[in-house]
Amino acid sequence: MPREPGPDESAGAGLRPAGFLLALPSLAVFVGVGFIPLALIATWSFWSFDPDTYWIKPAWSFASYAALLDNGRATVFLRTAGLAALTATASTLLAVPAAAVVGLLSGPRRAALLLALFTIPFFTSGLVRAFAWRLVLGRQGVINNALMSLGIVETPVEWLLFSDFAVLMGMVAAYLPFAIVPIVLAFARIEHSVIRASQDLGAGFWTVLATIVLPLVLPGIVAGFLFVFVAAVGTSMEVQLLGGAGASSISIMIDDVLRVVNFPLAFAIATVVVTVLTVLIIIANRALRLSRLFESLGI
Amino acid sequence: MSSDAIVTGRTSGGRLLFTTITALSLAIMYAPVLYLLLASLNPDEQLGLVPPSRYSLKWYFALLDDGRLAGALKESALVGLATAALAAPIGLSAALAYRAMTRLRGVFLLVILSAMFVPGTIEGLGLSTALRVVGLAPSWVTIAIGHLLWTLPFAAMVSLIGLSAVRPSTIAAARDLGAGPIRAFVDITLPLMRTNLISSFVFAFLLSLNEQARAYYLAGRQNTLPLYMFGAMNSGASPTIYAFSGAIIVISVAVVALVFAALVGQQSRRPRQAPGETSY
Repeated sequence: MPREPGPDESAGAGLRPAGFLLALPSLAVFVGVGFIPLALIATWSFWSFDPDTYWIKPAWSFASYAALLDNGRATVFLRTAGLAALTATASTLLAVPAAAVVGLLSGPRRAALLLALFTIPFFTSGLVRAFAWRLVLGRQGVINNALMSLGIVETPVEWLLFSDFAVLMGMVAAYLPFAIVPIVLAFARIEHSVIRASQDLGAGFWTVLATIVLPLVLPGIVAGFLFVFVAAVGTSMEVQLLGGAGASSISIMIDDVLRVVNFPLAFAIATVVVTVLTVLIIIANRALRLSRLFESLGI
Repeated sequence: MSSDAIVTGRTSGGRLLFTTITALSLAIMYAPVLYLLLASLNPDEQLGLVPPSRYSLKWYFALLDDGRLAGALKESALVGLATAALAAPIGLSAALAYRAMTRLRGVFLLVILSAMFVPGTIEGLGLSTALRVVGLAPSWVTIAIGHLLWTLPFAAMVSLIGLSAVRPSTIAAARDLGAGPIRAFVDITLPLMRTNLISSFVFAFLLSLNEQARAYYLAGRQNTLPLYMFGAMNSGASPTIYAFSGAIIVISVAVVALVFAALVGQQSRRPRQAPGETSY
């Protein structure tokens, strides 16, 4: 039940310029720290490497964009996007039922507790949470020890750690909250009376879920998928700590390119990634009015 | 308890299935870290669990003698405090601006939240390039600048949620009684927002404390905590790194849990605008 807050009329018309003044500090941070640096590297991605200074010189060129997919970089782009899509799919499949438990099947106290449990890890060290999977998935980890003592395998299963599987587990565990929160927000927007009415008319749980609930929370599901995808595309620590030998990701690739001081190419990769992610978010926002999700926060 | 839930009664197995998946999700998020915590209490050199009778804080005490760790901790604390001290008031200011806006508030919100969607590596690369142009040498200041952008969306959200519970009528009453906008803010809004301001400070501090991708590009000679940890994790794990990971996790979880409890307590004490309305 979104309450329509509307503009804060009570503050009086005198707040109009004050509203602008209040917005200034955050806008200054956005423009100065966020936008200008990204615009700068986007511009410089069209400059050329200068072997004299190991920096760049203003000679306009598309060379970095032509080299974007060379040297196995196309594979890194595809693998990063593929693994991120897989992470987002797995996270969404877990998040929809979990959000339903929070939003539909629990009273307010348990819902608050569950939501806290799902969001607390986000504020803790991602590095430690990824590292912990090494102890679980390693040759002498929990899973291999259990499998061997049960006699299911005789030698440790090698593909558990330092593999795409390990990266996937680490990323799902890390970014699951990104999927759950928007879906819970979407659940909060459902009119309870609609569900009560359909139940009174004899609809069972699964019918209510499929015909009423899922269509209403679809924007939240898409937002959740997208948030996990964006986070997984940008990360590098799960790949670095859990991935196999030679495993790469876009972020690691940018770092590798910087090591050989090819600044224009690193800028080009960064520009392409930011552009693609921005377009994705804008399309999803246009199609599904994602910003409306925040209305259930009452803001 | 489920009598308050929206869907009650028979669920044809749905409740069981969904509860199982929820438990599985929580297990994926918590079990590895819990295992790490228990393993960090093992006094032996090799990894693994020992019976509780042999639990020891040996490796935690060993941390105290690590000079490089102390340096990284100091640097991270400095960055985190500077970041939080800026992010909390700027976040509140952004939330107040959003409330005062009549037009473009959706766009403003997206602009403020947009920093959440840019990969840390790219933000770090862009900012370090820009700071190089400006001539600002890498130090704790440059990291704090990067972390301000990263934490601001969260600080603004916490303040927005808090402001949503400040009734416009309360402010209007103060104004009718002759208070100016600043007096009304100081006497009414600020006290009501105290818990949220503390929360957004704490969240910004923790997000900064645990951030690695941006710090990697922005740090000077002194490593921050995550940069130091990342190095230690990749250079043959010694038992102290488990103790260190354990300490970081326990402190972070305890602090966030306290803040969540304070926020929930505050929300439930506040009068609601409409019965049954949930905020968060």
